Amino acid sequence: MEQKCLMDIAEKNLIDAHIDGDSEAFVKIVRFYGPQLLGYLSKVCGSNTEAEDHFQETFRKVYEKAHTFRGKNLRSWIFTIAARIVIDDARKKKLRFVSLNQKMSTDSGNNVLADVLQSNGNCDPSDDIQKRELVEQVRSALDKLSPKQKTAVVLSYYQNMPYRQIAEIMNCSVGTVKTQMFRALKTLSRSLPDISGGVI
Amino acid sequence: MTDHLTEDMLIKYQFDLAGVDERSRITAHLAKCDKCRAKLQEIKLKFSALDMLAGQPDIAEPLVEKTVSKAKTPAAATGLIFRKPAWLTAAAVLMVAAIAVMIASRSPHLEKRQSMVSTVVRSKTAEDTSLTKKLTETAAPQVALIDPADIPDKPPFAPASAIELNVLPKRESTQLTIYNSADLTLVREKRKLTLKPGYNWLQFMWSNTLIDPTSLTLEPSEYADKIDVELISYPARLKDIGRWLIRSEVEGQVAFEITYLTSGLNWRAFYMATLTDDEKHIKLEGYVRVANNSGEDYENAQTRLIVGKVNLLDQIARLAQRQYPYNSPVQIDDNIRVYNAIIEDRLVSMLGDTPARGRLFYDLDRKQIKKEGLSEYFLYTIEGTETIRDKWSKRLPSLDIAGIPVESIYKYNEEMYGENTVRFISFANDEEHHLGETPIPNGNVKVYRALADSYLSYEGATNIKYIPVNEKVELDLGAANKVAVEPKLMEFKTENYRYDKDEKIVGWDELQTWQIELTNTTAIEAKIEITRGFNTPAWEMDFDDENIDYKKHDATHARFTTTIKPKTKRTFEYTVKTYYGTRAGEFIDSAEK
Repeated sequence: MEQKCLMDIAEKNLIDAHIDGDSEAFVKIVRFYGPQLLGYLSKVCGSNTEAEDHFQETFRKVYEKAHTFRGKNLRSWIFTIAARIVIDDARKKKLRFVSLNQKMSTDSGNNVLADVLQSNGNCDPSDDIQKRELVEQVRSALDKLSPKQKTAVVLSYYQNMPYRQIAEIMNCSVGTVKTQMFRALKTLSRSLPDISGGVI
Repeated sequence: MTDHLTEDMLIKYQFDLAGVDERSRITAHLAKCDKCRAKLQEIKLKFSALDMLAGQPDIAEPLVEKTVSKAKTPAAATGLIFRKPAWLTAAAVLMVAAIAVMIASRSPHLEKRQSMVSTVVRSKTAEDTSLTKKLTETAAPQVALIDPADIPDKPPFAPASAIELNVLPKRESTQLTIYNSADLTLVREKRKLTLKPGYNWLQFMWSNTLIDPTSLTLEPSEYADKIDVELISYPARLKDIGRWLIRSEVEGQVAFEITYLTSGLNWRAFYMATLTDDEKHIKLEGYVRVANNSGEDYENAQTRLIVGKVNLLDQIARLAQRQYPYNSPVQIDDNIRVYNAIIEDRLVSMLGDTPARGRLFYDLDRKQIKKEGLSEYFLYTIEGTETIRDKWSKRLPSLDIAGIPVESIYKYNEEMYGENTVRFISFANDEEHHLGETPIPNGNVKVYRALADSYLSYEGATNIKYIPVNEKVELDLGAANKVAVEPKLMEFKTENYRYDKDEKIVGWDELQTWQIELTNTTAIEAKIEITRGFNTPAWEMDFDDENIDYKKHDATHARFTTTIKPKTKRTFEYTVKTYYGTRAGEFIDSAEK
């Protein structure tokens, strides 16, 4: 609890310093919260490029709207902005056209093989191939979730956030978060790969 | 132990989704049920696959730098951060309310119907219907940014049943680009829409117009990153109505650009050429007539005219008149081709025009027409703006150049014009002729002659094709009565027969002597060009007259050119020898040697 309070104070100081014009303060915010945010974005976005774009957009808004931060939880606030960007972007994407020639997710095996062969040199690539295929299948399973479901799962499972905090970020009730989470888990239970044989 | 836990229960248990009571029951059951514990282990193992994506990536230094750099650069059109003190907001509301009460009491009938009616349809909420809100919308041009988190994620399916209609302000500006050859006009107009935060429905109608509803686009001209035009819907059972759904993070008046294609607007060029009394110069006046039969009034529109040919997949007029916007495809006429070549030909089919057609009126202030070349066609922009109402046409001057030197020539060519002499006036679209700045669009030319007593005589009319810069143009004024050419065959004989082994004629020569009589009953000297054809390339001319220019025009024609003084008559003769059968072969062989 004491550590959390200290962190809150540090967060408040950082954001105040940024508002007061300390250019280093903002860089510190990016460095401190960047890895968590990029971890979240890389899981909810379709590609690394998209994740990096949203990453930059999130911090642009943090920079721009720092004065509206009321000193609760900077991490939550940053994730709230990011989640909003992701959900908005997904909503816009619904109306985008997708080429019928686009590769299906199951077609990605060849690319995995090519990547492994390229990266491993003389090593037997079969182990890595299997692992990468599993990673791809997990990613593919996550991609089947709606943006809100994906946000709930990623924040809960990977960022270890309590549902109350996720509800704040998603601007909804705890019950809604739990509903989204449950639906997401039901979908995942059908689409996650079977790793009962063990993971290398 | 028959009632085992379901997978749903176990998932809820594992991920702390169950309520307190349910969780207690599950915990109690698991304590005494091996099968369910095993099942829980399976679920744990199943979801442990998610761990394959666990871990946080390191942030590369360039990404940090890029992020910081981008954050410090304000986004386009988002440089405004409104931090209104409360007292300022209250003061503004009071002021606006006062102004609006005045407006409301003075002008209850401000709404004016336009054929393309656009309305903002909004959900009727307590906030919306409040007087302050309404007045703010009508009177305050300010725009306030709002927090996007306040906007619901899910857009409304349709406008609420209780709706509030607000007639939009008139167009702020309009630009018409008329592609004449395809009955196609691109309309770009700016309107200021008053948006509320959240979702707005913008309804538009195109009944009685020739607008292609499928071509309609709506883009905010400002706050582009705060406003999304999400979709356009065409409600069932409502004809000629469409609705845009706009998600707005701003509140207030925002400029939008609406573009669409319409049919029914066209333009035509036509000219008046006035010859001087000596017929050595003309004054060329050009006009453009823009006609509007589109069903829509266009006020103060910047008008641009395109010379060139555009091929379309569909006919806009038909698209506009379908029962529903996305009906079954219309049949494509033979002359309408797929977009395989957007601009196919610079020469547009020749079209005539008369000032009497349509309702016509002149502008007292003569507008200039600016011209500029595009890659495939030519664009003429009428200076300033024009109001072109539906069913009206407007004639604008485009060209007025006097003293263009011209050559008047009478041509006699039986194969092309019969036994008439045809009169031509020629000049070039170049600097020497005080032209050459731009191509001249195709159109009808009426030629008059200025008489000494300041009256005009009508000399004839013709159509001209598109005249590129530095190209020559000939105006065909039709048959001339006062300058005549009369050829007479004076002598005919054959000679030099050739026979085959059966004594049948296989070759011979023909000798014809012609007398050409030229008559000029006009008061000025006339230049005459006589072209004679022989239907064979094997011919020889015997001609010797210093006053006549003679040249072989092509393989089968000879051409004589001369001038003849006013009110005189003169003749000249020529003898032509033509070769037939084997004699033709002998002639060609000898000519080659």
